[in-house]
Amino acid sequence: MKILYPKEHEEYSEVLGSLGRFMEKKLLPNSSKFDAGEMKIDGPRQELLEQGICQVSAPTEFGGLGLPFSVYASAVELLGTADASIALSIEIHNAVSEGLLLFGSSLQKKKYVPDLASGRKLASFSLTEPTSGSDTRTMATTAVRRGDEFVLNGSKMFITNAGEADLYMVFAKTSKGPSGFMVEAPNPGMKFGSDLKKLGMRGSRTSEIVFSDCRVPSANLVGEEGKGVDYAHTILHGARIVVAALNVGISQLAYEKTLSYIKERKAFGSPVSEFQLSREKVADMRTSISAGRLLYLYASRLKEMGGDFSSEASQAKVFATEMSLKVCDAAIQLHGGYGYTTDDIHRHWRDARLLTIGEGTSEVLKILIAKRELARSL
Amino acid sequence: MKIAVCVKHAVDETELKMGSDGRPILEGAIARISTFDKNAVEEALRLKAALGGEIAAFTVGTPEARKTAKEALAMGADRGTLVVADGDVDSLQTANLIAAALKKTGPFDMIICSEGASDTYTGQVPPMLAELLGVPYVGYARKIEPLAQGFRIERSLEDTVETVEAQTPLVISVVSEINEPRYPTLIQIMQASKKPLEELKESDLGAKPVASARVTSVMAQVSSRKHVMIEGSPEEAAQKLVEALSREGVL
Repeated sequence: MKILYPKEHEEYSEVLGSLGRFMEKKLLPNSSKFDAGEMKIDGPRQELLEQGICQVSAPTEFGGLGLPFSVYASAVELLGTADASIALSIEIHNAVSEGLLLFGSSLQKKKYVPDLASGRKLASFSLTEPTSGSDTRTMATTAVRRGDEFVLNGSKMFITNAGEADLYMVFAKTSKGPSGFMVEAPNPGMKFGSDLKKLGMRGSRTSEIVFSDCRVPSANLVGEEGKGVDYAHTILHGARIVVAALNVGISQLAYEKTLSYIKERKAFGSPVSEFQLSREKVADMRTSISAGRLLYLYASRLKEMGGDFSSEASQAKVFATEMSLKVCDAAIQLHGGYGYTTDDIHRHWRDARLLTIGEGTSEVLKILIAKRELARSL
Repeated sequence: MKIAVCVKHAVDETELKMGSDGRPILEGAIARISTFDKNAVEEALRLKAALGGEIAAFTVGTPEARKTAKEALAMGADRGTLVVADGDVDSLQTANLIAAALKKTGPFDMIICSEGASDTYTGQVPPMLAELLGVPYVGYARKIEPLAQGFRIERSLEDTVETVEAQTPLVISVVSEINEPRYPTLIQIMQASKKPLEELKESDLGAKPVASARVTSVMAQVSSRKHVMIEGSPEEAAQKLVEALSREGVL
């Protein structure tokens, strides 16, 4: 990735360059082992957190570097190139920090954000349930106030980092509606299901969380009671930009592997890269990756400037995740039989496949984009 | 203890592309701190952690070499000096400029270099530097152990390890096996911008000698393959393979 930042901000490039070199040395060589379950991501993820990836856009008062959000998003693009499972885990972790910065009390920010930014603690975002995904209003998990506590009952499904995280941002319905809570682990009222077997993103842990009389201090309520759905949606708008960046990263690696392969591999006496139909694929892959990158960087800039960026974030996510599937599919196609049989090629498609579903399906996001654009045109 | 560590802004050979004429494309090539110099900085940091003191990083090059001095600062050096050279410099000129800068900003107890730069790998600067400073030189160190007085140093030679004891001041070159260099954290990278980084010009340091060496060409190493097909039963093929390898002098 050519990093284009003005000269007066050379520290952005230094930060990204250093992270990129760290990832290339420490994560990329083990990526297929994470996918095959031969190695756990825990150790390398921890090292990456200690390098400071989640400090990039965190405010300096909470131990962050205070750099623009677009620099963090670019860091996740690099991470998507190095290892998609770790990128997913980090993206979710940092979304909790972002959520606390937006809606947490000053006490909660002080208590949690420095630890999340530095990686002393790992976080998880628990919104989806076995029978409700994007349709957050049908949430069945309840939180009942008892004295100075809330008691949570119900279950959450497909939760990334579940069982590994120290801190869970959990959404549950109180008498006033869905609300957000910070639940610290271990908590005797919180049990984790087994690690779900997934098509891709196999290095990251995903499971169900069951809450049975899980007691949470009322001081751990995030923001106002009953505003949980709005909070969750706002947090997800930011997270969608990062998911777009992640998918650009996955696509970039699949593309780079393909370029080297088709230059080497010969058919009918000449390298596969010499054929016009291969070249069409190369041009389409390259162009669509660049377009995905510009969309997430544009949405990032809008977020940095304040104001509404929900449509642009969704546009970036829908485009980049759908694009990623096409690019990774073309990568398999150009690798021929080896593409279909080599884990290290088809895992990019398997990894990318999650994200037209997770954090808002393409279908739901298209409705959101249209709704927002129609409202803007009034 | 005052430690000086020498770092080179070197072409990153892992990202160097070769032209069709077999010459490396140096135009627009990425340069950063020479790979082995990170071992030199790391060793300085370890010695500082054990003995206390201060680390100053020195580099010679174009104004762009500032990046390399900053990398050393991010890793943990306390201050840096960039000697801006007028055009290309050879090993002897580099050693002279560093020696002059060390004299100007020193004195130092120990000067740590790496065994060679990752791009040109001549390994000439450390011994030249010792000669110019009039201090002992211990090359190819794989272990540096502080003693009550002086240091015990293991030198990694081709087939043997030589252990020597030396007193400061001295110049040491280290091999890459001596340690695993740390990656600076992002916070350290940001803080490096706030550390003192002095720029000296050649004219600040007196005359430099005329170049003693001139690079006439740099070519990629080409290894040609013979593509010999051996046929026959496994026994016959093995026999022919052994004969072929013997003929080539491999066995």
